[in-house]
Amino acid sequence: MSKLGQVVESVENYNKFVLDQVKRARTDEKFGRELLGRWNDVKAKIPTTRTPTGLPLPRLALPEIDEPGEIARYLFGEGLPGEFPYLNAAYREMYLEPVREIESFEKNAGKAETKIPQLEEPTRLFSGLMLAEDTNERFHYLTRHQRTHRLSTAFDGPTLYGIDSDADGVFGKIGEGGVAIDTVEDMVRLYDGFDLGSANFSASMTISGPAPIIMAMYIAAAKRRFGPKVVPKLRGTIQADIFKEVQAQNETIFPIEPSLRFLTDMVEFTTHEMPRWYPISISGYHIGEAGSTPVQQAAYTLSNGFAYAEMFAGRGIPIDQFGPRLSFFLDCGLDAEYIALARVSRRIWAIGMREVFGAGQRAQLLKLHTQTSGRSLIAAEFKNNLTRTAAELVLAYMNATNSCHSNSADEPFTTPSEEWIRLAAHGQAILLEESGIFKHTMNMLSGSPGMKAVERAVEAAILDEFREIERLGGVLAAVEERYQRSQIQNAAHRYEQQIYNGTRPIIGLNRYRDGDEEIPEVKLARTPRSKQQLQVDRLAKFKKKNAEKATGALDKLAAAVERGENCFPMLLEAAEVCSLGQITGRLQEVVGRFRPMV
Amino acid sequence: MASPIRILTAVPICDGHDSAINTINLEFIRHGIEVIYLGYHRSVSDIVRAAIQEDVSAIGISSYNGGHIEFFAEVIGLLRKKGADDIKVFGGGGGTITHDDAVIMKRKGVDEVFFAGTSLEEMVRFVHQRYGKSRTKRPRPKSFDQQLAHKLSEIEDAYAKGKRPTRLRDATAWQALNAQRPTSKKKIRNSRGARVIGFTGPGGAGKTTLIDELVLRFLNRSPKGRIAILSHDPSVVGEGALLGDRATMINSQDDRVFMRSMATRGQAGGLSPATQDCLALLADSNFDHVIIETVGTGQEAMPFRKNGIVDLTTLVMNPDYGSRLQLQKIVMLDLAEIVVVNKSDLQRARTAHAEIEQRLEQNRRNQHLVDTVAKRHRDPGVDQLFELISNR
Ligand code: B12
Repeated sequence: MSKLGQVVESVENYNKFVLDQVKRARTDEKFGRELLGRWNDVKAKIPTTRTPTGLPLPRLALPEIDEPGEIARYLFGEGLPGEFPYLNAAYREMYLEPVREIESFEKNAGKAETKIPQLEEPTRLFSGLMLAEDTNERFHYLTRHQRTHRLSTAFDGPTLYGIDSDADGVFGKIGEGGVAIDTVEDMVRLYDGFDLGSANFSASMTISGPAPIIMAMYIAAAKRRFGPKVVPKLRGTIQADIFKEVQAQNETIFPIEPSLRFLTDMVEFTTHEMPRWYPISISGYHIGEAGSTPVQQAAYTLSNGFAYAEMFAGRGIPIDQFGPRLSFFLDCGLDAEYIALARVSRRIWAIGMREVFGAGQRAQLLKLHTQTSGRSLIAAEFKNNLTRTAAELVLAYMNATNSCHSNSADEPFTTPSEEWIRLAAHGQAILLEESGIFKHTMNMLSGSPGMKAVERAVEAAILDEFREIERLGGVLAAVEERYQRSQIQNAAHRYEQQIYNGTRPIIGLNRYRDGDEEIPEVKLARTPRSKQQLQVDRLAKFKKKNAEKATGALDKLAAAVERGENCFPMLLEAAEVCSLGQITGRLQEVVGRFRPMV
Repeated sequence: MASPIRILTAVPICDGHDSAINTINLEFIRHGIEVIYLGYHRSVSDIVRAAIQEDVSAIGISSYNGGHIEFFAEVIGLLRKKGADDIKVFGGGGGTITHDDAVIMKRKGVDEVFFAGTSLEEMVRFVHQRYGKSRTKRPRPKSFDQQLAHKLSEIEDAYAKGKRPTRLRDATAWQALNAQRPTSKKKIRNSRGARVIGFTGPGGAGKTTLIDELVLRFLNRSPKGRIAILSHDPSVVGEGALLGDRATMINSQDDRVFMRSMATRGQAGGLSPATQDCLALLADSNFDHVIIETVGTGQEAMPFRKNGIVDLTTLVMNPDYGSRLQLQKIVMLDLAEIVVVNKSDLQRARTAHAEIEQRLEQNRRNQHLVDTVAKRHRDPGVDQLFELISNR
């Protein structure tokens, strides 16, 4: 049985364990008393908060139960926020207003000049455009009022596919949809002016196929600017999720096995040398956006996660070292499953990691970034997208996501413009800061009978998917058989059919459609040809300057790969003098190119 | 009955948004259209080469990552340059293609742009209406590949109408044209010129990958050589088919490779009614090798032998064929010159090798048994197979 099979068993066993505890609490008087005691203790310690109108509310809401069996069911089956198995939340307080702010607000109540706490706007806006210096300028603009600098980098097509700006047929794609990065010099320009080693800085890079190469360039750029001592201080995230690329996003550049090997090489390096780095973001977003059902999304993402854990542990990296550096990224759409999808995922991950992988507390936590669904946003009567995103945000926060990105209403048309980005960001602020839904009480919307029904159904369906993958021989075997891809494609086909046969209501498209179609003014942020040419010229200069050294570095890299050793140190050397495309090309000579799956 | 409409679909270079086109492909084939799907992240030249070789009526492009005005125009420009502007271009890209963009694109020669919110039905209807008429007046072919592609279409069309294309049997003009082509062939093995190698075996055995790896070795070995591939996918009379092999063949996207994808159009046994004539034409066309790929392992795959065109038959097996009993039923094991156990990294491969070896020994025909892992780069087993095929 593979690890995934064991995960299925561990969840089943855990569910049995919970039932046993319920029974025991009802029959074993001493145990029952203990539980009741603990329950009363927890309740007694819950602080009270006040809403702006003065209504007192508990900072943590618990079910109204006082019978030991039900208490056992809650404490073991769900866990308090921040307690195993983390169904309700990974942490105790999450979005609650800090106590300090409530107090100062109350003290000032009634006075004329009440000072409202000024929270920062949600940050980490995904950006990347034209050349490195243009994106750098955008980064500085976005962070000009912020104490903490959390940059999120989008790359252009050639970079995502690991090719150089001078490659055949890609000229027009340079700097489109993201920033063009060919060399370490571009990387230096990209983050110029930011203190990469500072505790207030973190960089996120959304790239997977060539992730180890880009990571090496980032480290090389940091060393150039701050010296070698900066390496252990670097903070940030790189997506590097190969399985989901093969399943949904289609940016794999090496065959699957070598891709996974380069990834593991990188993870081994960062776990030892860069303890503050998140070397992988296990992503369901792209699976969901490619058209999967919510259950498929969660099942494939979690099973990918367990497969990574197995791989990294197989390399000898201790689970408690890499476990806390894994993070997750899920989609949130409007289907009913999303009411509890992430909650259930968090529970399955915690149980599997603890029971099957022997992970300690920090490695059991599924740390979650959510993005609202881009695909649910449509062109027809596009302003309705504001409402869709708002509803999805409520769902995302009901699942106690650790961070969230809300899409802009102009999503179907182009890279979002500032007007709509601002509205999207404000949507979150309205929900979290203005409204009282999430800021007073933890568990405000947890635990309704309906939510529990969804939880049970979703968990069962995810485990069924796990069993199917297990039957096919595990994640890697299933991927190679195109299992996940074909399932996603069939689901996507069904989804579109439902839209056009009217069984899936889409307001403004197949219901309540108004003949007058309004579209936003689409400002195309095209990269001027002169800039694209500049990038090509710079690359030529770099290649010429480093021609000799590059050959040596590539030979050493290739030799390391052939020998089967961790090639990341050689990648670091190569990143100093070689371009992205040179490194990709040489690695492909050794391990081959990815054979697309369709 | 007329031939089904043949359409090529693809997603542009540096673009992996394939969800829309996957759905549209499925919808097209459900409505009787044969779709040759080239995949995502595809260059203008790959798309145009494939469209000409497959002689499709139109190319459907799904573009999301921007630059669509230029990309569609480049495809049309290259088609014109190659004298293939009878191949039409249409496509979509959700909301990323604005109405204003579409006006420019149409001016540059795009037939139709489908906006976000278009029903699947509407697209199917468009294809049937616009590309359903048979193409009687073809432009004069500008290249050898184009002429060959047209002739292959004529054969397929004739069979679709239930006629055998006699005109093609008169091959003098064809041979004259061929004679003008430079060829790298040094030793010609038979009167026809090309060595014809058949690949058969159950679906999922990895034939396509194996062929593509052999193509890579061939292209490296013969810097001027040319190779043709005739591949088959199953389909039912009057229905569509998804012909997706090209998308996974990374090494075969090359001007020195001529590839044609055929649907079986209702014929059992993994070949199409038109296969034999198409194969004869390819064998007459000055390629160094002609590879024919088909699905099937039983009696039905006999045409390979019967037509006498195939010089060498290779059966590709998946180690997971099941029990020994299952093996006994595979007639091709007696007929193939070479038997390949692909995916030989799988656990069952050793047993499979032993069982098949035993069976071949009984035949006493000097058949070869080769173990390969085609998905592995520079696989020594594939090297060995390549040598066997090139030297036999
Ligand atoms: C799904 C999606 C993804 C998925 C793709 C999964 C997959 N395998 O396809 C994921 C999450 C992986 C993804 C990633 C990215 N995406 Co994206 N994505 C989308 C999204 C949300 C929906 C597109 C879609 O498939 N819709 C479903 C289809 C069925 O419907 P439709 O688009 O309305 O199309 C209709 C018609 O136009 C027609 N049609 C479409 N094509 C064709 C072709 C033919 C032949 C015909 C007849 C008809 C036809 O059929 C449809 C039905 O009516 C759009 C935004 C949006 N809401 O539209 C962004 C969007 C396309 N993505 C975008 C970007 C930038 C990216 C990234 C580059 C981001 C990055 N820097 O990392 C990556 C690159 C991925 C890659 N490999 O190329 C941008 C493009 C911006 C631009 N062009 O200016 C968009 C517009 C979002 C945005 N506003 O930023 N993406």
